[in-house]
Amino acid sequence: MPARRVSGRPGASSGPLVTFTFDGRDCEGVEGEPFAASLLAADRLILSRSFRFHRPRGLMCSTGQCGWCECEVDGVPSVRSCRVPVREGLVARGEHAFPSVERDLLSLVGLASRWIPPTFYHHRFLRPRRLRKRYLDVLRWFGGRGRLRMGSRAPVPGRPTRRIETDVLVVGGGQAGLLAARGAAEVGARVVLVEAGTDRGTATLADLDVGAEAAGVEILTGVAAVGWYDGMVAAIGGDAHIEIRAGAVVAATGSYERVPLVPGADRPGVLAARTVTDLIERHGVLPGERALLVGDADALAEATQLLRRAGASELIGPVPSTSLASVRGRARVTGATLHTDGKRRHVAIDLVVFGDRSPNLEIVLAAGAVVARQGDTLVPVLDGSGRTTVGNLFVAGSAAGRSVVAGVAADDARAAGRAAAVLATGKATPPPSTTPGRPATTHVAPAVSRGAIVCFCEDVRAWEIRAEQAAGYTDPELVKRRTGALTGPCQGKYCLQSFACLVGAGAIPTTRPPLRPVRLGDLVASETDDAGGA
Amino acid sequence: MARSSAAAILDTGDLPRKADVVIVGAGIAGLAFARELAARGVRDVVVVERGYPGGGATGRNVARIRAMQLTEELTYVARACQVKYDRMGEELGFNVLFYRVGYAWVLYDADEVERMRAIVEMHHRIGVGSQFLSPDDTLRRLPILRGGEPVAGAVLNDDAIVHHDAVVWAHLEHLARTSVRVVPGTAVHAIVPGERGVEAVETDRGRIATRAVLNATDGWSGELNAMAGVEAPNRPIRREVLVTAPLRRTIEAAVTFYRPTEGWFNQTLRGEVVMGVVDPDEAPGVDQRSSWDFLRRTATLMTRKAPALADVAVIRQWAGTYDISPDHQPLVGPTRQLEGWWQANGWSGRGMLLAPYLTELLAERFVTGMTHAHLAMFDPDRFDATGDTDVRRTDYYARYADPSH
Repeated sequence: MPARRVSGRPGASSGPLVTFTFDGRDCEGVEGEPFAASLLAADRLILSRSFRFHRPRGLMCSTGQCGWCECEVDGVPSVRSCRVPVREGLVARGEHAFPSVERDLLSLVGLASRWIPPTFYHHRFLRPRRLRKRYLDVLRWFGGRGRLRMGSRAPVPGRPTRRIETDVLVVGGGQAGLLAARGAAEVGARVVLVEAGTDRGTATLADLDVGAEAAGVEILTGVAAVGWYDGMVAAIGGDAHIEIRAGAVVAATGSYERVPLVPGADRPGVLAARTVTDLIERHGVLPGERALLVGDADALAEATQLLRRAGASELIGPVPSTSLASVRGRARVTGATLHTDGKRRHVAIDLVVFGDRSPNLEIVLAAGAVVARQGDTLVPVLDGSGRTTVGNLFVAGSAAGRSVVAGVAADDARAAGRAAAVLATGKATPPPSTTPGRPATTHVAPAVSRGAIVCFCEDVRAWEIRAEQAAGYTDPELVKRRTGALTGPCQGKYCLQSFACLVGAGAIPTTRPPLRPVRLGDLVASETDDAGGA
Repeated sequence: MARSSAAAILDTGDLPRKADVVIVGAGIAGLAFARELAARGVRDVVVVERGYPGGGATGRNVARIRAMQLTEELTYVARACQVKYDRMGEELGFNVLFYRVGYAWVLYDADEVERMRAIVEMHHRIGVGSQFLSPDDTLRRLPILRGGEPVAGAVLNDDAIVHHDAVVWAHLEHLARTSVRVVPGTAVHAIVPGERGVEAVETDRGRIATRAVLNATDGWSGELNAMAGVEAPNRPIRREVLVTAPLRRTIEAAVTFYRPTEGWFNQTLRGEVVMGVVDPDEAPGVDQRSSWDFLRRTATLMTRKAPALADVAVIRQWAGTYDISPDHQPLVGPTRQLEGWWQANGWSGRGMLLAPYLTELLAERFVTGMTHAHLAMFDPDRFDATGDTDVRRTDYYARYADPSH
């Protein structure tokens, strides 16, 4: 069995065993672990089906961002199951599949995918006239995803609003965020840090927490920033709506996995390095026996070591991302094609682990700050202090395109915090922003395989983007609307970088709030609050 | 010269030095007018657009094509507009996904019921098949409202939605086969007047000599009118929308209600739910920024009306402008203020519905000089006589909702 529990492994996964149901079949798991991990331990990899072609998808990012693991959980539609702790009696089902996500007959649509560009229906279904509505009824049946529970229920509680005014707001409680917060507090600024997660993973972070708190930083965990509205950062957490107005904001929002831009990279069994680390270390689940490691060796080091220790039978690589030509398999990864020294080589594997990441630009773009291309990656344009072209917005850490593991970047993060504090408190005049204009970036369209999937929510392939451009829809906003790229539930988190790379320089369609999907019920404001009342 | 090359959908060549007609704004009004002019043999037509085609209100609305209107005149016009859309796919060879999803006006108060009964009678006289639903029937047809605030009934008919972007693409691809040029990324910054009216349009990419200009810029029409020294009472007001992750077929009609404030939701063919609750105190002005208050206002009221919606995930929000005129009806036609200055703006939130049909009548007027009765209603100079220029005081729906009027 390719994915399994690491035998005899004590530690992390030591809770009681519980039984839950996924798609009508029982499964066992360790209480408290994400049920996506429990399913993986039982070698059940497929958690969802993609919107257009019903491609099988499984766990990928494990941070609740990519949406490949969306299932219906206890009647709530489209829940990211990598964030749902398993418990006795939990009932989950796959969505958008018939009869089940594991065996989905609708995936037959995929066989015709090369003849179904995203706008195919605009050139069909007009005749005969009397069937026009029926055609669209069928099209409508193929769309859709989640089911809603109708009828009476307890009234949705409204949330009170908490308003925070501070000198410096740091968004993100990773290393860079904590260092920036500390840097700001040391200058004497009032600092608030919001972090969406609730658990402080590593010992390093816990130490940093203590350091930042000692320096006077107010750390709010479990508080997710949901939008940048003209400098006001709206967040939800602790059953309240939080509106934060700060003299300066440091975005330390980290990076997203950069899924290899090759055909088949969305197969169940293609996992981000961090997910593999998490699975083995925290949940004692080995996601595969024969692994191909793709990307930078440093980024893969931890996952590689853990795979080896957990008893993976074969590790290939790390190979550079550019030498991966395709990932093969249907319901799961069965192989990969590598392209090295002009030769093609097939390898039989059941796991692909990739390490590439690219900056999370959401707040930067929402604020209207300038970004530029660095190789095949968009990064925010920053001055020496980490300040963006929007005067009071700073970026630190991997969100700035820097890895904090390197000491220099840690110093940079701290410096960004200090500069933000200086600006916000007016304690000293900050050095004039040496903001460069938009650097002249020469765009070379990368040699991307035509079948590579660029946008995963909408199954948009590289050739479809190129076809729209060739047809004369040259404006990136039109390419976005025509293909649907960037418009799915992840809103471009996993395709903006590749999309921009393919479409060309300056090609960033407008990004829109919220920064992450939010349930309508979580946005309900309490009656007593005039600001949110209807 | 007809150009067959698909690459001419967006024209990036040099601007022409002169044109018979310059249309400013490549939204639905500008593109539809260009189509109708081309069909009538007007040769040199240029559509200049500051951003990209469909990038303003046209690309930001939810394209409800409804015949259900409150006055007899408007119902007649709206029905003609619906027919225009029903035929658009075949005429342009492009399926714009005209889909009769149904339209439901949900009522919450007794006075609304009384008022709507009279309107349903009017619809029947005209031949619009609206039906009045009891509270029970309302919940049967719209189970999404179960468990929400008690309803007093609803008016339902078989009105349609279309795909707003598809309407833009259908026009672009059609125009690429005609002599019309659609030029994006070109901003107008001056109108050159002459002794006998408009003489040229000055853009950031050069001057185009012309004797006829159509202001099809809706929310920005005031800005353009000012360049020409033309006055009009329409004012832009922000409207916001949010969209959710896709659901299975759940909501069987496009829903609108007006109590306690205006709100609406419907499901697209893809399954997403689009919705919004209007802020009655929104200040006039072009503002396309999304707001946090909108998210909360909408969530708060929608979960009261349709509690099942609490579970849907909001994935995106955006804002667009309504160009509101004092009587909430558009300004379509030439103005007496300046020879050669034509208006097709002030759509007041109904541009998607009205523009294809009304610009057909407008093109007819342009070519033949004859004014169809349906066009005469929208004479841009109609406000001069009444002095009725306050866009807020004479709110169309306030008139409906307040029984004292």
